[in-house]
Amino acid sequence: MSEHSRHRKPAAFRLDDPQVTVAEHEDEAVHAPARVRVIPEREDAALPVPVEPTAPARRGFRWGTLFWSALGGLVALGVSLAVMQLVEDLFARSEALGYAGLALAVLAALAFLIIVAREAYGLFRLAAIEKLHARAEAAIASDDRAEGRAVIHRLLSLLKDTPQLARGRANVERHLGDIIDGADLVRLAERELMAPLDQEAVRLVSNAAKRVSVVTAVSPRALIDMGFVLMTTLHVVRRVALLYGGRPGALGLFRLLRLSIAHLAVTGGLAATDSFIQQVFGHGVAAKLSAKLGEGVLNGLLTARLGLAAIEVTRPLPFDALPRPALGTVAGDLLRGMKGKE
Amino acid sequence: MAPVFSDILEEARITARAIAGFGGNLFNPTVRLGVTGLSRAGKTVFVTALVHGLVRGGRFPVFEALASGRIAGARLEPQPDDAVPRFDYEKHLHDLVTARRWPDSTTRLSELRLAIDYQSQNGRTRALTLDIVDYPGEWLLDLPLLTKTYEQWSAETLMLSRQEPRAKLAARWHAHLATLDAEGPEDEQAALTSAKLFTEYLKASRDERFAMSLLPPGRFLMPGDLEGSPALTFAPLDLPELGPIPDRSLWAMMRRRYEAYKSAVVQPFFRDHFSLLDRQIVLVDALAAFNAGPEALRDLERALEGILDCFRVGQRSFFSSLVRPKIDRILFAATKADHMHHTSHDRLEAILRRMTKRAVERAQFAGATIDVVALAAVRATREATVKRGRETLPSIIGTPAAGEVAGGETFDGKTETAIFPGDLPADPDALFDGNGSFRGLAAGKERDADFRFLRFRPPAVETTEDGAPALPHIRLDRALQFLIGDRLA
Repeated sequence: MSEHSRHRKPAAFRLDDPQVTVAEHEDEAVHAPARVRVIPEREDAALPVPVEPTAPARRGFRWGTLFWSALGGLVALGVSLAVMQLVEDLFARSEALGYAGLALAVLAALAFLIIVAREAYGLFRLAAIEKLHARAEAAIASDDRAEGRAVIHRLLSLLKDTPQLARGRANVERHLGDIIDGADLVRLAERELMAPLDQEAVRLVSNAAKRVSVVTAVSPRALIDMGFVLMTTLHVVRRVALLYGGRPGALGLFRLLRLSIAHLAVTGGLAATDSFIQQVFGHGVAAKLSAKLGEGVLNGLLTARLGLAAIEVTRPLPFDALPRPALGTVAGDLLRGMKGKE
Repeated sequence: MAPVFSDILEEARITARAIAGFGGNLFNPTVRLGVTGLSRAGKTVFVTALVHGLVRGGRFPVFEALASGRIAGARLEPQPDDAVPRFDYEKHLHDLVTARRWPDSTTRLSELRLAIDYQSQNGRTRALTLDIVDYPGEWLLDLPLLTKTYEQWSAETLMLSRQEPRAKLAARWHAHLATLDAEGPEDEQAALTSAKLFTEYLKASRDERFAMSLLPPGRFLMPGDLEGSPALTFAPLDLPELGPIPDRSLWAMMRRRYEAYKSAVVQPFFRDHFSLLDRQIVLVDALAAFNAGPEALRDLERALEGILDCFRVGQRSFFSSLVRPKIDRILFAATKADHMHHTSHDRLEAILRRMTKRAVERAQFAGATIDVVALAAVRATREATVKRGRETLPSIIGTPAAGEVAGGETFDGKTETAIFPGDLPADPDALFDGNGSFRGLAAGKERDADFRFLRFRPPAVETTEDGAPALPHIRLDRALQFLIGDRLA
């Protein structure tokens, strides 16, 4: 550190001194011939701060929840009654058959319990990631060191099973003791831990988009396209979630897909990073070549966008220090490939 | 047995007031926020900026209740305590915004009541009464006297005054002290002279060049209406190690007056104001200590320790709020953070954290929450990068107050100037290891100093049609969130 070797002396520069120039921008300052250049920094304080409106608190008793719980209980009772009846009937016919039936029923119940537990764990984990995301955003906004540190600890425990992050985790752990403001701590963790995962996720989404576009282009039936797009999309969402530390089961996957589509609906129309023109242009040129090819590109773009939305939804930290992957980075190959074929 | 009995009596009085307060609190939730700090720390500016921000709706993104729009409004209420002066918010605001000068400093206790109308998280409309109690930090330094005898205090004060750089300032008083005989007959004139010289020494130590902090008794510096009374006419004496106190001796007289000071000045403050606080912010002007030198910094550390020892901290519980109110949140704020580039704020916080470490540990053990923040209640500067030759200096731009001196130049209070105040060390311990760790104004010439934090004029604020817009600040919202955010949940 330079301040250990040499302490810089305090200094004062009057702005009306002829030796001093004031430049509003960095590049302007370079050309000024003066000895001392003062470059005022952009005033962040003057910028408006976006404030998320908080959802109105839920009030009153949750009748809907009660209804569904009660109905679920009834169905469960009915099913178990039916199974019990069946086992009794089997016993009535022959004892061996009865035991076999009982064993099967117990096995089914056990498997069901484990599935439920796994689903619950998956949902719980997704919720934890969502919460972490919100907390990280708050920590960046408030710059609260303790909160930032808590977020990092949580993140480390969430990602402790991801082998490719061993080095990044060690780096972050080393910095935890340093004096870093909350926001900077979160940004540091984002750079160290999220960067490799982001690359991987972008690669996954990009591959899926390419696959979808090729399959759509060659498939003979629209129904096959649709099925394939759906399958691939589910697959991508699942892989991305796994990558970022989520363990979604069937219910979790459903929830993620819902969130991704909702996210797409919110941001899709006006994502600033991807140019709309590119999509239209790409489609236009390709469509001239062949309607099927154009459809393929469009489907590929759709998959890519959904994949990006999935990244956004499952990533435990918000995009702050790292750039948000744009559609161009995941679907760029797709468009280039099409243009190449022109 | 007498002191023990009086202690019990004090506790009983505090409990009586607390029970009365608890009853009122059920219907009308109230937070008593104590604002304190040694003189020139920026108490008045802090309170003014805080009230202004709440009443006019400042730009407080981190203060959740206001940022999310749950606060419908805040208004000033009539001052509740009949015997306490009101904080003159309007005048101070006028000084800040219109006259562009810093308001007069706090010399006495004052209070202001603010009612905040808000909607709680679950949608209920509520009102929180915020009583802001502003009092000089010097009075806090008196609180440790409650547990000290005259002999202890006298020995400690003498020992401190014989260290550099205080010894130089106390030379006249020391000379007079040498002529006094503690066991001789009591003598009013000797006591008067001694007290006068002692006060002069205290005042000199507070000068900008030395910036000493630990200077009890506080009323010697801010006498108020007690000026000239016997309770303020005493001074430490060179006392023999042991031995009985002779009747009607100078020693006995000083001792009596010291006790009078405790019972007439310190205890009423403790009972009527200090013991009733719920939340406390301690403003610390560390920059003045950097300007002055390592001795001032160490003195500030000792003063902070003294202050912290007096807080009744701990988690609030039903029982404690009934019989013995406790402060459950304390915020230490290094003020004037706008006097340095934001890249140094962390280092400033680290230094303050280092100074309050011991006390913080103790308070956390008791269950209280403590935080440290570098803030500027009113931001008087903007930031800039200065390139001189190949050097890049993170600096600030502001208008130094008239009469400030830096780099051999005296400012007129009109010129905008970019100031690089010096690098704070990355390791806070580096500042505390010995006398030569850095050079301040106390050590010699102004141009040799390692740090130079100038006083700036308040910022020019454009006044719009509907009154003054929100004052710029640094982390005032974070302080608010910490201090009252949870009570607005």
